[in-house]
Amino acid sequence: MKEFEIRFSGSGGQGLILVTRILATALVEKGMKIAQSQSYEPTSRGGLSRSDLVASMETVDYPLASSLDYLLILDEVAVEVSGEVIGEGCLVLADSDRVSSKPEGKYSLYTLPLVSTADKLGSRRVANLVALGALAGLGSFCDQDALEMATRFHAPKGFLDLNLDALRAGYELSIEAPRIA
Amino acid sequence: MNMANSHENKIQNLQGNHACALGAIAAGCRFFAGYPITPSSEIAERMALELPKVEGTFIQMEDEIASMGAVVGASIGGVKAMTATSGPGFSLKQENLGYAAATEVPCVIINVMRGGPSTGMPTRPAQGDIMQARWGTHGDHPIIVLTPCSVREIYELTIHAFNLSESLRVPVLVLIDEVIGHLIETIDLSLTGTQALAERRWASGPPKDFKPYAMTEDGIPPMPRPGDGYRTHTTGLHHSESGFPTQNPAEVERFIKRILGKLELHRERIENFETLECEDAECLVVAYGITARAAKRAVKQARAEGIKAGLFRPVTLWPFPEEAFRALAAGAASVLVPEMNTGQLILEIERHCPDATRVVPLNRFDGEPIAPVQILKKIKEQVSHD
Repeated sequence: MKEFEIRFSGSGGQGLILVTRILATALVEKGMKIAQSQSYEPTSRGGLSRSDLVASMETVDYPLASSLDYLLILDEVAVEVSGEVIGEGCLVLADSDRVSSKPEGKYSLYTLPLVSTADKLGSRRVANLVALGALAGLGSFCDQDALEMATRFHAPKGFLDLNLDALRAGYELSIEAPRIA
Repeated sequence: MNMANSHENKIQNLQGNHACALGAIAAGCRFFAGYPITPSSEIAERMALELPKVEGTFIQMEDEIASMGAVVGASIGGVKAMTATSGPGFSLKQENLGYAAATEVPCVIINVMRGGPSTGMPTRPAQGDIMQARWGTHGDHPIIVLTPCSVREIYELTIHAFNLSESLRVPVLVLIDEVIGHLIETIDLSLTGTQALAERRWASGPPKDFKPYAMTEDGIPPMPRPGDGYRTHTTGLHHSESGFPTQNPAEVERFIKRILGKLELHRERIENFETLECEDAECLVVAYGITARAAKRAVKQARAEGIKAGLFRPVTLWPFPEEAFRALAAGAASVLVPEMNTGQLILEIERHCPDATRVVPLNRFDGEPIAPVQILKKIKEQVSHD
């Protein structure tokens, strides 16, 4: 598998760090090595939150993102922060209801109703899994089976089905996602 | 299913702070006292989970002053002990840290640095405690400071910190920046090697002849193990070989010379550093922690463009590996010191550089790490200057 950099960004409490851990677990099962970093504010809800993953077949030398291949923006608050590190040709996925502006840079933009899909499943808290399923569907950086296994590993037992439903719903969304720009 | 994060699996996605706790357990640490503080709290959390499994003791004290006191007490009681904290908590620990240095009580202190001064930026990285690590407590005192740059190295250096502390009877600080502390990396714990564990030298021989602070040849007096029947006295006041306070000038001078001199005597064991492409480097970069990871990439990129850059990474920050550094700096036209502070280690670097060598700072103190491109740009400026 090719080396890549991915960022999950949004607002604190959206589960961005957890969903990055799920992807990290899935990738390591595929034989990759990862470095995951994060940045968040002292509050447990709200504020800017982001989590980055650098994935490589070799031990990662510089562990922080410097040229993103994939970027999720789940909240308007996270639009500006990634401008400097969006790599050329980056695949950007933004929530169609919660993100109205666009970051600087040359990239492919997709927008999908990630948060409202989670709402329809019964809990806004699984918008992170919807987003992971959708971004993985669009980017093909990790197959759904590995993601489901990793979700089973990380998800709280009582909410496993909901989390798996969210992951699958995200993937379904990606199949017919229109490219915006 | 044998997933990457399962506890049994040797290949793990492990967070730096968790690696610190696992390293401590592997080193034989059986006592942790602390008070939670971002960005170090995961160390306490993990210790609270791991210590009961090995019949160790975890205690959350009322504050950082008390937790450092508890660590010193546990260690005098004969147990390998550790605490972990960040900036404001590290400030509070200084008094009892000085007490540990003066009474030569082995202990390991972890400081995961955040932005400062004061409460600063709890969740953002900085490298602002470089000088505090060396001079935070008052008076001339011995201390060893180690600084890791990866999750794996946190694990290894935590074990090494216990080994140095136990065998030399000196407090050892592991100085970690928030990026490395919170970084999750895939590591194979089966490849971390089995470091031999150093044990304390315990007092032996007739109790009536026992001197708790004896002037031994290697500067390290054996410690009395509680229950073995040795009478001892422990005080932060300057003390004679008997352990009791003294103001006799000759005894005081001998005491200070010994506790500082043991680091000189054992310098070879303590000093540790990494070099990359240093031999013919015209621009030598000196960096530590996450900044060293950025510098490594910048040096590799510079070399790919035919620029003679090199990296000197002190793993032992204090005592600074000065002899090795001096030899490398002598051949360089410039020495670049990127740091996430307004310029701290650079003061030590300047001290060891020949007058002809240009020492150049690169500082960032806005809560963001220094990027490889920033270092590369600065390297290029130096080379075009020469």
